[in-house]
Amino acid sequence: MIGYVLRRIAQLLPVLLIASLGIWGMLYAVPGGPVGMLLGENATAEQIAAVTRDLGLDRPVLVQYFDWLVGALTGDLGNSVYSQEPVLKLIGERLPATLQLAVAATIVALVLGIPVAIISALYPNSWIDRILSGWSALALGVPTFWLGILLILLFAVQLRWLPSASTYVAFWDNPVQALRSVALPALTLGIYVSGILARFLRASLVSELRADYVRTARSKGLPERQVVGTHIMRNALLPFITIVGLMMANFIGGAVVTEAVFNYPGIGRLMIGAISNRDYPLIQGCIVVILVIYIAINLAVDVLYAYIDPRIEYS
Amino acid sequence: MDAGTVTTVGNGSVSEPVLSVRGLEVDFVGSGHPVPVVRGVDFDVYPNEVLCIVGESGSGKSVTALAVSGLLPETARIRGSIGLNGTDVTSADDETLRMMRGQEVGFIFQDPATTLNPVLPVGRQITEGQLAHGRLKPADAPARAVELLREVDIADPEGRANQYPHEFSGGMRQRAVIAMAMAGKPKLIIADEPTTALDVTVQAQVLAVLARRQAETGAAVILITHDLGVVAEVADRVAVMYGGRIVETGPVGDIFKSPKHPYTSALLQSIPRIDATEARLEPIPGTPPTPAALPTGCTFHPRCMLGNGRPRCQSEDPALRPVGPTQMAACHYAEEPRPTPQAATVRSAPAPRTGGEPLLAIDDLKVHFPIRKGILRRVVGHVRAVDGVTLSVDPGETVSLVGESGCGKTTTARTVMGLIKATSGDVRFEGRSIVGLSRGAMRKARRQMQYVFQDPFSSLNPVLAVEDIIAEPLRIHGLYDEMGGDKRIAELMDMVGLSRTMFGRFAREFSGGQKQRIGIARALALQPKLLILDEPVAALDVSIQAQVLNLLQDLQKELNLAYLFVAHNLSVVRHISDRVAVMYLGRIVEESERDALYDSPVHPYTQSLLSAAPVPNPEGRRARRRIVLEGEIPNPAKPPPGCTFHPRCFRATERCRSEVPAFLPYPGLPTRAACHHAGPLRPEEVPGPARDLEMVR
Repeated sequence: MIGYVLRRIAQLLPVLLIASLGIWGMLYAVPGGPVGMLLGENATAEQIAAVTRDLGLDRPVLVQYFDWLVGALTGDLGNSVYSQEPVLKLIGERLPATLQLAVAATIVALVLGIPVAIISALYPNSWIDRILSGWSALALGVPTFWLGILLILLFAVQLRWLPSASTYVAFWDNPVQALRSVALPALTLGIYVSGILARFLRASLVSELRADYVRTARSKGLPERQVVGTHIMRNALLPFITIVGLMMANFIGGAVVTEAVFNYPGIGRLMIGAISNRDYPLIQGCIVVILVIYIAINLAVDVLYAYIDPRIEYS
Repeated sequence: MDAGTVTTVGNGSVSEPVLSVRGLEVDFVGSGHPVPVVRGVDFDVYPNEVLCIVGESGSGKSVTALAVSGLLPETARIRGSIGLNGTDVTSADDETLRMMRGQEVGFIFQDPATTLNPVLPVGRQITEGQLAHGRLKPADAPARAVELLREVDIADPEGRANQYPHEFSGGMRQRAVIAMAMAGKPKLIIADEPTTALDVTVQAQVLAVLARRQAETGAAVILITHDLGVVAEVADRVAVMYGGRIVETGPVGDIFKSPKHPYTSALLQSIPRIDATEARLEPIPGTPPTPAALPTGCTFHPRCMLGNGRPRCQSEDPALRPVGPTQMAACHYAEEPRPTPQAATVRSAPAPRTGGEPLLAIDDLKVHFPIRKGILRRVVGHVRAVDGVTLSVDPGETVSLVGESGCGKTTTARTVMGLIKATSGDVRFEGRSIVGLSRGAMRKARRQMQYVFQDPFSSLNPVLAVEDIIAEPLRIHGLYDEMGGDKRIAELMDMVGLSRTMFGRFAREFSGGQKQRIGIARALALQPKLLILDEPVAALDVSIQAQVLNLLQDLQKELNLAYLFVAHNLSVVRHISDRVAVMYLGRIVEESERDALYDSPVHPYTQSLLSAAPVPNPEGRRARRRIVLEGEIPNPAKPPPGCTFHPRCFRATERCRSEVPAFLPYPGLPTRAACHHAGPLRPEEVPGPARDLEMVR
């Protein structure tokens, strides 16, 4: 198993290399650049040339890429063109906030999604199934920015229970404050994803309920809760954790809208800002970090797979 | 006589029935009308007894069995009474039913590949029922699992108990399921097609274990099957089901010797036999009824030769009544003599081989699939799926490839078609090599040879109408108009016995037998000279099998077709073939003319295979001797050295372990065999009379 994980990490390196080269190429293919953004519209040609030279942007693109690559391999992702601060420091400030939100949103999604799926699957086509399926469709269909605004109106404006704008408070510094500030964005993301998870798990459970081994388990005289809890759940979880992993990875870079609504200091907003400033090193850095986390989550899912399903062997 | 009266069984002692079913009716209530699946069934089962319930799909046999333990879905409406050890199942509450399952009644289901939960260890699955019933302490469970596995002959039960189902072979899985069903020492075992998914040598092992465990526990067994051979081997009493009712019941010997219901007699006549060569099968016309559309009166009347359209059969459903001293039958005219089948002309011996150029010649064909490992996908070994097969098929001849699953017979057939790439060796069609042809050239060659697939349910495109399915090969080759267009399609449908009124229908609207006819029509569209038939009747009901086999024989005669017939069913192969080749682990071990191979096999594997196959004749089954092979087919990635059969062979010597036997003619017979010790079976090589399969009393 350890060998397998190490091999997977080794396979990760070429993926990152190709991805970073691709991102670099894409950035340079788009017209405009950071110099124009830095100097504004009234800059003279000399000013532009000087800043371009200072930033090293006059060198050939490939040279710039290799320069960046050598830095990246030694753990230096360069400095932001805009603020001149190290990219890693900027990302490091935002990453904990993003991870905290991702974990909280995933917990919300699981807590809402799993019971809904189980109840729907056990009583298919009953009134409760219809209500819960309607709820899942609604959770999926409502845009996150709108749901976010509704939650702010309810909990922040009307009830005044929670702050409307979220700051990042580390969980281990002040758990209560951390939960209060992450609650609304986590609910917004979590409710949306719980709809996807519930539909997926329900379908998976319904097909497992028809499996032969379920009939065998019942024929042994097992109580129904054991049939569902032990026999069906373990099998239904297999496709489910793939989706959970994908969703969680999606929260890392893809929660921009929610972060914007709640003014949450996550990595998504950092990257959007970097893109509008053409801050090449920062964009590159953000994408590489998001990619690493994405791949790490998928690796974790694969390892979990092997733990749940004995038929999968990693050798 | 009422089916419920106490009867004497086996050893002559009188006892109370374990299970007593009276007036059982099961309807399925869906969105539409209730569908009657079981319509008034009465039977009893006694301790130590094996009751076989025989029937085709839709006869209600499995639903009857599930009703006995309250395992039917909620859409089922049950009427009548089911007395299991004195408790009425139909009125019992859920908790009582749950406590009865595993304790009073144990289940063995059809496919051991799916009946075990893939993500839980086998040992845990065996004991969890007992744990749930509170009859086993958690601390004692592991030891109990090992004990139960040992009782069903699993080697190394300590190690096996912690393994998962995918680490077990098919036969071991089914034995584990038997251990599971027996864990609570239930008084009744219900086995629903327990060996249908298994190979014949493994079937013999599993039936032997089941019989021994029954003898040890004194349980009653209900065995549900469509295989009359299995019935003849294991049953004490038989109940034949048709259209949701029992149409005949009685002791196994009497049922086979003088069936009273016309359906039973027709069924017995429609099966090909392994112990004789018949000229032609007597199929039952039509198809079994579906519960949603039952005929009026006697449900069998549209297919019945005895009723012959008499009005009473069409209006009045006959009751099950005593006919003769031991049997009961549900037929108005059960006492009338059967219309005798046309005098069974002995099938003419196959024409002597011409010695000319064979139509298809396979020469030392090998197909090895590489096993790759690691990041670099290095080849670390090969699965020798086909490992040197030499075989030829003459024009108009039927040659069968027979063997157990994994022996390479289907891979051979697909390689001949060019669907799999040959590793080495040659395949010649009409003298021309077709190995390594370009795509276009191979497509041309395929016009002359066509493939019919096993599963008619999944090999037809569901979104195409029947005429488009049949026309597809013509269109692919751009010959649709040239070969007559619609007229050709209509001609093909006539040829395979499909009505022209079926134009425009989709695959799902056809029955299994009709689907296979469509598959055959499609294969015939291009006027091929050779059909490769891959298990063409394995998925069909018994009475439909005979229709399709007869169709194949008629077409062969009319069109002078050659068949390469791939099958595992030895009786079907005996019926259809001119010559037969037996495969084991990628090689042909014996090849001969049909009767020579069946009557005087010389290879020990052929001898074991034939000995393991159940014979549909209960007479003398106690005296029958049987070789039960140990173990299962080895992994073709690591075949044993020397003769690959030696680890299971009763004749193996030191030489077999090291030296690969050559495939040589056997003197005095039209046979070739690959064995150092080829020769007829000697009496001392077979274990004592029916030691294993016969239910010991």
